[in-house]
Amino acid sequence: MKAIIIDDERLARKELLSLLENHPNIDVVDEAVNADEAIEKIEEHDPDVIFLDVQMPGKTGFELLETMERVPQVIFTTAYDEFALKAFEFNALDYLLKPIQAERLSESVQKIQAKSSKKGGNRDHKLGAEDQVFVKDGDKCWFVKLSDVRLFESDGNYIKVYFENFKPMIHKSLNALDERLDDRTFFRASRKHIINLGWVDSIDTWFNGGLLVQLKGGEKIEVSRRQSARFREMMSL
Amino acid sequence: MNRYKIYWLCQIVGWGMWGFFQIFLYTFAESFEVDQAVGILLQVIYNIVTTHLFRWLIIKLKWLNLKLVMLIPRILAFSLLLSALNYVVYLGATELFAGGVSRLDLLSVTIAVTILGYWAVYFIWVIFYFTFHYVDRYNKSLKVEAEAMEAELNNLKAQLNPHFIFNALNSIRALVDENPSKSKESITQLSHILRNSLISDRKKVITFSEELKTVMDYLALESIRYEERLSINFDIDRRTGEFLVPPLMLQTLVENGIKHGIANLKKGGTISIVTAVRKKHLTLEIRNSGQLSSGRKNGIGLGLENTRKRLELLYHGEATFNIKNENSDTVLTKISIPKI
Repeated sequence: MKAIIIDDERLARKELLSLLENHPNIDVVDEAVNADEAIEKIEEHDPDVIFLDVQMPGKTGFELLETMERVPQVIFTTAYDEFALKAFEFNALDYLLKPIQAERLSESVQKIQAKSSKKGGNRDHKLGAEDQVFVKDGDKCWFVKLSDVRLFESDGNYIKVYFENFKPMIHKSLNALDERLDDRTFFRASRKHIINLGWVDSIDTWFNGGLLVQLKGGEKIEVSRRQSARFREMMSL
Repeated sequence: MNRYKIYWLCQIVGWGMWGFFQIFLYTFAESFEVDQAVGILLQVIYNIVTTHLFRWLIIKLKWLNLKLVMLIPRILAFSLLLSALNYVVYLGATELFAGGVSRLDLLSVTIAVTILGYWAVYFIWVIFYFTFHYVDRYNKSLKVEAEAMEAELNNLKAQLNPHFIFNALNSIRALVDENPSKSKESITQLSHILRNSLISDRKKVITFSEELKTVMDYLALESIRYEERLSINFDIDRRTGEFLVPPLMLQTLVENGIKHGIANLKKGGTISIVTAVRKKHLTLEIRNSGQLSSGRKNGIGLGLENTRKRLELLYHGEATFNIKNENSDTVLTKISIPKI
């Protein structure tokens, strides 16, 4: 598995690198000393996993994740940031406390491998159901698998992301998101909505030749007349 | 003994003595008569009951919280009322049990003198009662104030940042392979800092030279972490070493300068410490690269506010402390501390 270590301290990177020598399946392809450098290197290498320091000059580890579209597996490394990591109580999140214990590192590496073996080798440019995104809303953070997202709803300059019982907002335009999403999974129902086809529960005809789609989460979404024809086409065999 | 018991003890002993004194006076002036003594005993009981009623009223109407201007007329009026009632009861009792009221008892002079006498007695009772409460309350407030001060100082005491400790340990771990002798030195420096922070829990002040040694060790460890991103300048006046300062004060400020200033700069920066003696004060100037974030209230964060309060409590307003942007890329922290 390809990995990148992101930490502003040389000795901290060196220490982690030497610990990872015992894990030949983790191939550290590069290192980055700050968030901006990390973005470039992640795009260049497309790693399976990143080891990410929370506190860095410029952008923090969280801010880095917020700027990324597709987020690889993330293992946070931090000296003492209980507060920052509490944001993740809803997710299975992996983090290592510095100085890192060899046994804890082994556990994390095993977890990562278990997760990535389930994943298909889908590496095209579109965001598919198996990709995960990082969502931060106020103090709370989530790693969300796109297959868990039922609905994207635009709200001003923001998009509401519906999954489980949450609907945090991300700062993005629905059009930009639509272009990035894999259209085999996600369908642009109207100017305001993108729905996950895997979550469709029932479909009814609606006014003016439109459709009303009910999602398994209970949300009712109108499909505009223009899109309804396409939708029928997609849903029929 | 609780306060309620004290109250009853005072009531019984006080009025008991008053009764005894009355009997003594009568015996001395005329002769001891059982009827007289029983009458006085009844008066003692009556007085205890009425003053107890008075106490109940004081508590019920919260007179203890009143200002004196408001309190005094109320007390005078009510004790006068009680005194008048006293005389009425006395007349009634005389009429019923002592063979009738004499004309002498109804003379206005007698009425006035007797009532005034009762009034004085009640008034003395009130003075005792309120004095006890005021003294009690004053003691309590002094105690509370002292406790609050102590607690505040404890809260304000600077503590070593755990983030720093674990990062330092992590760097040292990496250093063991790369540069064993330097890693040994770092372990000694870290243990010195840890020892000092344990001591600082117990001491209110330490000498500035001790504090400076801790800061040197701290900076040595931070430069292992930040490497070429941290440069350090010192200009220390030898005479400043014997001043007494709160432990970890300089340490906290330097740590702040690194954490909020240099750690956020990709290229890193410089921290410089200049000390001097001016007008018998220790003056300290700490400069670090970076800028105070404008979002903060008066440019002062909570940690710095604590330092300010600590100085205020220890030097009673004779120390000064301020922090500002010296220019567009440097923050200057200035402290002046008198000799104690």
